[in-house]
Parts: sequence; structure tokens; C-alpha cells
Amino acid sequence: MSKPLVVFDKVQKHFGSFVAVKELDFEIREGEFLAIMGPSGCGKTTTLRMLAGLEAPSIGEIRLNDRVMNDVAPHERDTPLVWQSLALFPFLTARENVEFGLKMRGVDKAERKERALKWLDKMGILEFENRHISTLSGGQKQRVALARSLVMEPQILLLDEPLSALDAHLVIRMQAVLTDLQRELGITFVYVTHSQSEAFAMADRVIIMGKGEIAQIGTPKDIYRAPANQFVAEFVGRNNILSGKVASVDGNTARITTASGDFTVPTNEVLLIEGHKASFVISADLVHITLEEPEAGNKAYCKLISEEFVGSMVTLFLEDAQGHEFKVQMQERELSKIDPHSGDEIWLSWDTQSAHVLNEG
Amino acid sequence: MKQNRSLNFVLGIYVLLIFAFVFAPIIFSMIFSFNSQRFPTIPLGEFSTEWYAKVLADPDVWEAALNSLIVSCSTALIATFLGFCTAYSDFRYNFRFKGPYLALILLPPTIPLIIMALAMLAWFSKIGMSGQLYSIIIAHSVLTAPFAMAVIRLRLNQMDPDLEAAAWNLGGSEWQTMRHVIVPFCKPAIFSSLFLTAAVSFDEFAVSWFVSGLNKTLPVIVLEIVQGNIDPQVNAIGTFVFLISMTLVVLAQLFFASRQMKSIKL
Amino acid sequence: MSSTPERRPNLYALTWRLPIIFWQFIFFVGPVLFMVAMSFFLVKNYRMTEAFEFVNWTRMLTRGFFWDSYWYTVFIASVSTVCAMCIAFPAAFTLAFRASESTRRWAIFLLIIPFFTSYLVRTFSWFVILSESGVVNAMLGYIGLGPYTMLNTNFGTLVGYMTLTLPLVVILQTVTMANIDKTLVEAARNLGCSPLRTIWQVIIPLSKTGLIIAAIFCFILSFGDFVAPFYLGGSQEPTLPILILDTTKSGQQWPRAAVVAIMMMLTLFAIAFTGIALAYRKGRGAK
Repeated sequence: MSKPLVVFDKVQKHFGSFVAVKELDFEIREGEFLAIMGPSGCGKTTTLRMLAGLEAPSIGEIRLNDRVMNDVAPHERDTPLVWQSLALFPFLTARENVEFGLKMRGVDKAERKERALKWLDKMGILEFENRHISTLSGGQKQRVALARSLVMEPQILLLDEPLSALDAHLVIRMQAVLTDLQRELGITFVYVTHSQSEAFAMADRVIIMGKGEIAQIGTPKDIYRAPANQFVAEFVGRNNILSGKVASVDGNTARITTASGDFTVPTNEVLLIEGHKASFVISADLVHITLEEPEAGNKAYCKLISEEFVGSMVTLFLEDAQGHEFKVQMQERELSKIDPHSGDEIWLSWDTQSAHVLNEG
Repeated sequence: MKQNRSLNFVLGIYVLLIFAFVFAPIIFSMIFSFNSQRFPTIPLGEFSTEWYAKVLADPDVWEAALNSLIVSCSTALIATFLGFCTAYSDFRYNFRFKGPYLALILLPPTIPLIIMALAMLAWFSKIGMSGQLYSIIIAHSVLTAPFAMAVIRLRLNQMDPDLEAAAWNLGGSEWQTMRHVIVPFCKPAIFSSLFLTAAVSFDEFAVSWFVSGLNKTLPVIVLEIVQGNIDPQVNAIGTFVFLISMTLVVLAQLFFASRQMKSIKL
Repeated sequence: MSSTPERRPNLYALTWRLPIIFWQFIFFVGPVLFMVAMSFFLVKNYRMTEAFEFVNWTRMLTRGFFWDSYWYTVFIASVSTVCAMCIAFPAAFTLAFRASESTRRWAIFLLIIPFFTSYLVRTFSWFVILSESGVVNAMLGYIGLGPYTMLNTNFGTLVGYMTLTLPLVVILQTVTMANIDKTLVEAARNLGCSPLRTIWQVIIPLSKTGLIIAAIFCFILSFGDFVAPFYLGGSQEPTLPILILDTTKSGQQWPRAAVVAIMMMLTLFAIAFTGIALAYRKGRGAK
């Protein structure tokens, strides 16, 4: 395991009486692609801005390479940021924008030009070298912004929702560009976004934040399969959440009674007490559908409400007799074997091990 | 529909009449300046450049023109500098007493010029700065700084609020960022402000008249001529002053309008 | 949005914040306060001596000529304001509702021009145009009217005031009315409101704030102008600005002039505050 590059040590940020960041205690590893994700107002951008020195922590310490950064001015740090608004200098050309940081650092003219051209070339926009920013397309501006930060050859690159202004097809392209760049350069990327697809597609590790706190840290798969709590489960989506009371606990499994029926779940490490409330999730892609009632195990009888196709994936939206909504995700090819229609009633089932009990709170 | 059209026609004529009233004195003044009559009326007299010749031959007018030039250029520089500082402080910082702070710069234009003139005259006499060319420059800077502030503040409003932080993030200190980002971004507004404040200063007569002493500017000369009797020289000077002011205003407007243009490189 | 962390202002912040504070305190607050102090000074043998006496105040405020002048100035500035507001309204209405966006922008640009031309030269031009044998009387003569005496009358003064204030009032009224939500106006018409009632009951209440601000500016400009009443009105009845001029320039009685100036400022403050309070008071709602 690589050593931590950045450490957030019990960091808090208050704006007057408003607490933007309650308590952050985590590490960023060298060379990883870390995504910080959460709904708007969760403190993710504040976290990034503290790392760049644009906000000072109210309490706690931020260390970069073991150096306490709290009082280091933004311009004395080496933490270039790719802004949501891009913040390109409108009165400069593409190349002058890329050269800007080098100029501030006192790099001489010839070297500046050489390095800027190299990065423009790398980003595939060399031909726009002398164009003014306003004459460039969204995707081209994005590349200028990346080149402007990367030309500084930093150890860590911060990205604040850089793709939010782009068209959907460009987002996919830029995701590939970003992951390739990160692999190739081997530097740390810290990527703030509210988009789960962006975070899960690119990141090695994801931090989910809610209300100024870390809700969960883990690989995309961890978070998707085993959300730590209800907030993460709901935020991640694409899963079914069932709540009820613990009926019985039997070693590694427990029985939970919900309005939609009784289900068996693995207890994992969660402490379940008979008679207490409990919730669990099942990822939508781990649910099977059948026309006939399955023999045993966890099952629910539902009416198909609607289908949603994204590429070759389809998501089914269903409802049981109690009105609880279920989601099932599968390949379109698989679905066509059963071929249900809206209003049809079908059986859902899943393996006990697919369910994941949530921590309450 | 038909009634509506005739109503529109009447209203259109009305607007034109208002414009005629507003521009009549300017246009007539220009016409009179080329008219041989001492008491110009209809029918007009012959075309003549007599008044211009007279004005140009008058050394007092030349001296006043030079004074006006010095005053308006210096005023423009000082007022634009003050306006820029204030606009930037307002844009970037929140601090206690910001309301009174802004009132300090924005209040002078709401006070009648004659009162400002009296107050300035008395104060300058008190502190031993009256009767000099620089007295006018200082007074005009107080009066025109609000215009500079307004023009530059509007420009800063159009700036991406992240732009400044982006420059720090790329290793620029606050001073470097000022020089390489804020000032270049505000350049069109700065020029616009220079021309506007110069134009206002070039036409101001009340305060100039009170504090100038023997260092008269062109508007003060006009005031003194007008006090005597009807002398069409005023029209000649007026036309000349009008052309200069108009040039300044049009230049200011050009810079102001071209703000959106990204490719300004001066 | 300010992106700066709340810190104590550093050298950089102070560099931009302090110049205007110094400058305005020395050259704006200083003069105004000194003028107030000066109103208590004494003048002996044409020399001003620093003192704290109320003699200037009692002299001025107990004299009939001051109050005559005061009420005349309030009166003529009020008339000027009413005239300018009424004359400007149809033009502003047309520009706001019946003109295209580009026409409106051009009209406003043209109306800004007069601010940057010499008011003095324009006044002199009116002096010539309105004189006994001037252009206006010559034209009226062709249709067998006149000649009329227009100079040295209230009419002359008002022409001067209009020259000064009309462009500003038209601009402010136009901008205010152009910013009204047009759908409200259409809704009123649609509900069967006649055009005149629409103006009176919808447009004017909606643009109240802007209209009052235009009126305040108009009043301030007219109230403080000495050129129009002096050259076109003949200063037979001196307005307060002329009183200041005479007292300062001829009599060397700066303290008394200061009294007049302070009275003017108090009046303007009172009017501006009343106006602004009216402008931002919640209306009874458009019913």
C-alpha cells in the first residue's frame, strides 16, 4: 500500500455559524484516483478548496507530504485545480493560458513556450495554440484547462466537477482522457463530483459525503454492493432498500420482517437485536426475475410498472402489493427471454448473500 | 388597429420633438458659430469663420485650453485610479462599515455643484491650497471618481469569480494576479473610465470657477464671456469643447461596448 | 461572491481600500464639515475669523429675503420636477413599450450625450434662441405672432432646467418602464383594462420606485442649478444658488453662504429621504 500523500486530520470548516465541514479524517494515497462525491451542499467543494488553500480549515490540520499546509498561501502550494467554470483567462490565447502558471513561477520565455506546446500537443489541441478562449468549443476549453494545470507537473491534481458543463457524449470521451492521463502520469487525482457514473467509472476509491461528513470511503464496488448506511444506499441508487424489524438472529444470518414479507439476510458485522429496526439493500442487478414462483429463499411478487433502456442495459421498475417499489437491472438480452409487459405480475428473487444489512443512522 | 397606428405615429413625433428640444441648443450653437451675425436669428447671416479666428487669436483662450487639457488628463488619471481601487475593494472584500465606505465615494454627485464649489473653496483656502491648477484637479477627482468606480465595478461584475483564485492556484501572488489578471480584464473599462472622467472634467465650470483663482479653464472663460454680453465666440469655443467631449464619450462608449469582445489586446 | 477567507486585511487589501478613504476624507468630508463649521465664523473687516457664533444663522434665517428666496427655489424646482416628469412620460412610455430594443438603446445613448456637453454653452444657446429677436420669435413672426418676452421670466428658467434635467428623466423613466414585466401589462389589457387605466393602475404603480428616483434627481438638479435662473431667468428673484454666488463672490460673506448651502443640503436630504421612503414603501397592492 502506498504512503499517504495528503492527510486530513480532524478538519472542520465553519462559515460564521454555518458548519460546512463537520469532521474530516482521511488520507489521500499517492498515485490514486480519488473521487469525492455527494449531493450539493455536502461540503465536497469546500474540502477541495481547503486542499488548494482557498479556504483555511477552522479546526484541524491538513498535511501534504507531512508538511502542515494550514497557513500556506494558495500561490505557494503546488495543487493546481481544474475549475467547474474552467476559469480560463478570457483575454489570453490558449497557449498563454497554459503558460500562465509557469510565468508566475518565473520560468523563462523559451522554456515556457516549449512546455506549453508540449502539453497542448498532448491534449490534442496544438492547432488552437493562438486562438482566444471564447472561440474554442466546450471540449477544447476543457483540454486547455487540463493542460494549464498539468503543465505545472504537480504531484496532485484537483478537479472540481470539470465535466458538468459538457454534453453527455463528450463526458464519456473526457472520462477516458482523464483516466488515461492519470495512469500515464501516475500522479494523484482528487475529483469532486455529484455524478455517480463519473465517480464510479474513473475512481480507484470514492468518498461519499453528506452534510459535511464522510458517509463512506471505499472502492466503487464496496460502496455499490455494501453501502454503509441508508444515506449512501439512497444516494448511490440502483438498489432496493427494505426496512423492517429483526424477527430472529441465527449465527451469520438473520430474519427480517418487512411490510413486503420476511427475508433472510447475512448479518455481516452489523449487530442485530431481535425486535429492533433494521434495513438492508439488494443491488438491482443481483435480483432475478421469473414467471413461476421460486421454490424457496427470498422472493417478492410484483407488478411491472415501467422499463428504462440505457444502451444494452434495462432497468425494470416494479411494485409489490403493498406499493413498495423494486428495481431490477439486467442485460436487455436476458430480459427478452421472459419478455414481460407493463402490468404483468412476475416474481423477484435473490440469493441471501446478495443482501447487505445497513448500519442504522 | 388603425387607431393604434396613428397613435404610434403621434407618439413617435412626440419623441422626436423631445430629442429636438434636447439637441436644439447644441445644434444651434454649432450653426451660430459659423454665422457672421453678432445676434444670430432667422434668416441666418453669411457663413463666417470670424469667431473662430477671434478665439484662436486670443492668448487667454490658448492658456485656458492648455489648463483644461492638464486638468482633465490629471483628473482622469486620479479619478480612475481611485475608482479602480474602490471598485476592486468592493468586488473582492466584505468588511465592516462597507456601506459608509461606498457612500464616501458615491455621495459627491448628489450634492449640488455650487455647494461643493463653496465648500472646496473655503477648505482649500483654509489649508492653503486654493487658486492653483491642482486645486481644480483635486476637486474634479472627488466629483468624477464615482463615475470611474461605477464603470469599473460593472466590468468586474462580468468577471468569473473563480478567475482570481485560479491565478493564485497557478502560483500567482496577489500582486501578480492583480497585474496579470485583474488589470488586463478591466482594461476596456479602465480606458472607458479615463475618457468619461476626462469628458466630465473638461466641461465642469462651477467648481473650477470657484477654486481656480487665476488659472482659468475653458468653461470658466466661457462663463466670464457670457457674463459680459452676447459674444458668439462662446459658440466657437462651445463647438470646439463639444467636439472634444464627444470624441471622449464616443471612445469611452466604444471601449464600454467592446467589453464583451474577448480579443482586446492593447 | 467573495472567495477570500476572512482574515485580517493584509497590505494588499489595504492598498486598494485606503486611497479613497484618505482622499475623500481630506477633500470631501473635510470641505463639507469645514463648511458647517464656517457657518459659525465671523467676518470682520472683510476677513473671516474662526469663532462659534450663531450670528450668521440668525441673520439669514430672520431675514425675509432669505425665506422669499428659499420658497421661490422650492417652488420653481418643484414646478421643474412636475414639468420634466410629465413631459418625459409619453416619450419614455413610447420608448419603453413601442420601440424595439435597439431603438431604445440608441435613444438612451443619444440622451447621454448632453451630459457631456457644456451646459453653459447650451444655456447661452437658449439665451440667443429665445431672445426678443431670436430664432423662436423670428419663426413666430412668420405666422404673425409675437414677439414674446421669454428671457428673464420663469419660462426662461424652466427651459434651462428642462435642458439640464429632461435627458436624465427620460432615461430613468424609460429604463424603469422597460424593465416592467410585459406580461402583467398584457394581462391587464386582456382583462379589459383600457389603455389609460392600464397606465394609471398597472404601469405607474409597477414603476413607482424608478419614477420617484427620477423625480428626486430632477429636483436635486433644478434646486442646485444657478445657470438657468441666472442667465435665462434674469435672477430677478434670486434662487438659493444665486444667493450663495452673490454672497460668496461679491460680499466675501462666506459664512452666510455656508448657512444657505447647509439649508439647501438639509432640504435636499429631507426630500431625498422622504422620496426614497415613499419609493420603497410597500404599495397597497394592485387591485
